[in-house]
Amino acid sequence: MAKNIIELVVGDLADKRKYREYKARAKALPAGYREAEAAVERYVMYLGPTDDGASLIAMLGDLADLFEQAVADGTSVRDLVGADPVEFAETFMANYSGGSWITKERARLAASIDEAVGDAGGGTAGTGSGSAS
Amino acid sequence: MPKQITEMLKGTLEGIVLAILAGRAAYGYEITAWLREQGFTEIAEGTVYALLLRIEQRGLVDVEKVPSEKGPPRKVYTLNAAGHEQLDDFWRNWSFLAERLDQLRTGDAPTASTTANEGE
Repeated sequence: MAKNIIELVVGDLADKRKYREYKARAKALPAGYREAEAAVERYVMYLGPTDDGASLIAMLGDLADLFEQAVADGTSVRDLVGADPVEFAETFMANYSGGSWITKERARLAASIDEAVGDAGGGTAGTGSGSAS
Repeated sequence: MPKQITEMLKGTLEGIVLAILAGRAAYGYEITAWLREQGFTEIAEGTVYALLLRIEQRGLVDVEKVPSEKGPPRKVYTLNAAGHEQLDDFWRNWSFLAERLDQLRTGDAPTASTTANEGE
């Protein structure tokens, strides 16, 4: 699955090389960390910037950095990803442009509501983004 | 109530990280370690890392790569001028929130009858 996405999205050879480098780094992680990293990878490959090769490669590189650093610091897998791994994965993924169908659906919902509010002729125009901070 | 505090932290963690970096330059692991010492034991190192990536992308910190004996080079983060501005904003919003919540607690909040008086 992941491999198909990569071949579809990642056109050029430099990105392919970087992807192979990433896979090698992931594979070299010690037991426990390796499985955890693979689980995070699976999640971000499904829901992350699957339509943007450069963004995807940058994300995977940062993920490998994080896990290698945790191994070097002796941070446990639990302390690394936390009690709620989804929360971690989502915060991490939000840093990369592009997205899966799910990101597009979120943007679409916000745009549709903006339009509906406009048609209703009332209300202040929303920014479409969540938090104001 | 570990769950509730975790939820509350989600919205404030970026501000907390900025505040720590205003005191001194630090790398991710130091920040998480400090937070754990202060009793924020629920915070995932990965989440702090993700927030650091975010504030870096938004240009709120200056980053220096420092080689380490083990593992990849460490990124040391320093708060820059834009970061200080963002932190000021954070404290302003925090004060506003804290003030309003305190009013709620001490019962100064508008009661049902006063709001009803306003009518349409």
